[in-house]
Amino acid sequence: MEELIPIIKKALEQVDVVLGWAQSPAAGVAVPAFFHTPAEADAAVFDSTCAHNLAVYLPRLADKKVGIVAKGCDARSIAQLIAEGAVKRSGVFVIGASCPGMIDVKKAWRCFGFGKQVCDAAGKVAMEGKTVAREEILLWKCRGCRDPEPVICDVTVGEASSEAPAPPAEPAGIRKRFAAMTVAERRQFWQDQFSRCIRCYACREACPLCVCRDVCTIQAHEPGWAGAAVDSPQSWMAQLIRVNHLAGRCTGCEECERACPVGIPLMLLLEEQNDVVEELFGYRAGGEAKPPFLTFDIKNDTWDEER
Amino acid sequence: MRFIPEENITALLLRLSENATVWAPQVVRDTVNTVLFAPWREGAEIETGLYSALPVKGLVLPATERLFSFRYHRAGEREKIEIEVDELRERAAVFAARACDAKALVTLDALFLDGSGRSYNDQHYRARRGALTVITLACTSCDSACFCSSFEDGAAATAGSDLIFYPVSGGFLAEAVSATGRELAALDLFQESNLEKPPLAETAKVELARLGQRLLDKFDDIDFWRRTAEGCLSCGYCSYACPACHCFNIFDEMESDRAGGRYRCWDACMFYAYTLESSGHNPRPEAAHRYRNRLAHKFSYFPLNRGEFLCTGCGRCIRGCPAGRDVRDVIKALGAG
Repeated sequence: MEELIPIIKKALEQVDVVLGWAQSPAAGVAVPAFFHTPAEADAAVFDSTCAHNLAVYLPRLADKKVGIVAKGCDARSIAQLIAEGAVKRSGVFVIGASCPGMIDVKKAWRCFGFGKQVCDAAGKVAMEGKTVAREEILLWKCRGCRDPEPVICDVTVGEASSEAPAPPAEPAGIRKRFAAMTVAERRQFWQDQFSRCIRCYACREACPLCVCRDVCTIQAHEPGWAGAAVDSPQSWMAQLIRVNHLAGRCTGCEECERACPVGIPLMLLLEEQNDVVEELFGYRAGGEAKPPFLTFDIKNDTWDEER
Repeated sequence: MRFIPEENITALLLRLSENATVWAPQVVRDTVNTVLFAPWREGAEIETGLYSALPVKGLVLPATERLFSFRYHRAGEREKIEIEVDELRERAAVFAARACDAKALVTLDALFLDGSGRSYNDQHYRARRGALTVITLACTSCDSACFCSSFEDGAAATAGSDLIFYPVSGGFLAEAVSATGRELAALDLFQESNLEKPPLAETAKVELARLGQRLLDKFDDIDFWRRTAEGCLSCGYCSYACPACHCFNIFDEMESDRAGGRYRCWDACMFYAYTLESSGHNPRPEAAHRYRNRLAHKFSYFPLNRGEFLCTGCGRCIRGCPAGRDVRDVIKALGAG
């Protein structure tokens, strides 16, 4: 996507920094990059390994004017942050990128080895000669994508894909198994899953809507809603608090699950909750509509993110 | 050298299981090849190709450890506290550790078991470390996140291991490093062999010359650190995945009105709360300050104080970083030695 570079350079005339991606030599895929100068922008790339949701950086940069390259789903997070007052619309310049659907890079690495160059063309993903069908390695959210076009955007880059997104997959593997579980089995399932949690809070830090961050209640000792001991019930409780604080706010970007180093399927919790919110309130976070239940004061536009 | 045929590995692990929990790298069920060290049971498949998300340090410094239980009770007029130290009763053996993980145990030993009085001799660490047998599987291949060859011995490091296995045709050459290792290698499951050790992995290297000083020279250049840390999400994964990071916090948890436990839990210097003072002041308020501290501790302060790096080049912080940060880029950006 070569036209991206001049667009970023042009954006830099009116913003302090543009959030995008650059190729990592070690990882063989795109990683988040901050472009401050036109010269730096020459490194910008956009391909199907740009899974990160860069909206996560916006509240931290609330004192700056920021350009951001955003996929359709990322734009929903930006819209939600604006709706909640964590980010000012006038403070962001959104470069909407037409998204081909993102590859689950961790999945690829774990199958083929870290750092292998990803080649994504003609419906196939190849890494060092090995090839897999594209839909097998797409992120779950990209299958049956509901938001290929950014809901909020100042300039677009790339042709909107003429191909329809991969159809929603039939729940397979863990989703299928989970759906069929009884309540008691689910309890056991989550106990097993959270026994691996190390409380590194990568889920929270990677979440664009977890804006409390440094003063997050699940890391606080007073009040101690979740105990300090890192064991399954405490970690589960901590995660449920995080999940519930995202009710009506989660845009389903899957970043928490992508960030989790021990592979806890966090989206099972959030997808369930998002479905319930949509069913009860007819509301999907990240759209034009006003959030139906805000658990904070929307009139307070000074988010005190500790910096 | 001693040799163990591949088909004897299960028997060896069963032998170890008789008086210890055997921990081996295994793919976690329901995940896309997330590998963790987990208790091994007969029939379980051991994954030695992929890298585990966490090192073996948890076996000596667990993510959570109950140090002791306490109970208040009234003795006549006075309130007394009864304390019961939690004793470790179980032995552990780790199979297929990597040399970089095992080597870091020696770094931790110096901190937690120092007899010189310079640091604390920790009874809980001592109990776990004394009850741990480490069988290392030497790496004959590596990935692009590995950089152990930057450090002394690289993939050939033997420190921290009791026994080292080198993959060869039909099984493993076994090199005993400690008395425990020699005892194991003397078992009838092993035989004599005159096979040669295989060539070990040569990884990418970082320039470590004068790195400590290069870091100190940059210390006050906060803009450099802001640029360096700007993609960092400030989560704790790199610290928790690091075989040498060892920071912890201590908490008391009440479990009833009158009784509770004291816990030691991992902590990470990337967290805002790590240096948050009770006054509300925080000397490391930005991710930039914390990132600077994490690197400088590993590559400057610790080497200056103790003569070794607080890093073995395992690459976990690179492989698993949710924001794709690479510590080697920062070392490079600090300029040549």
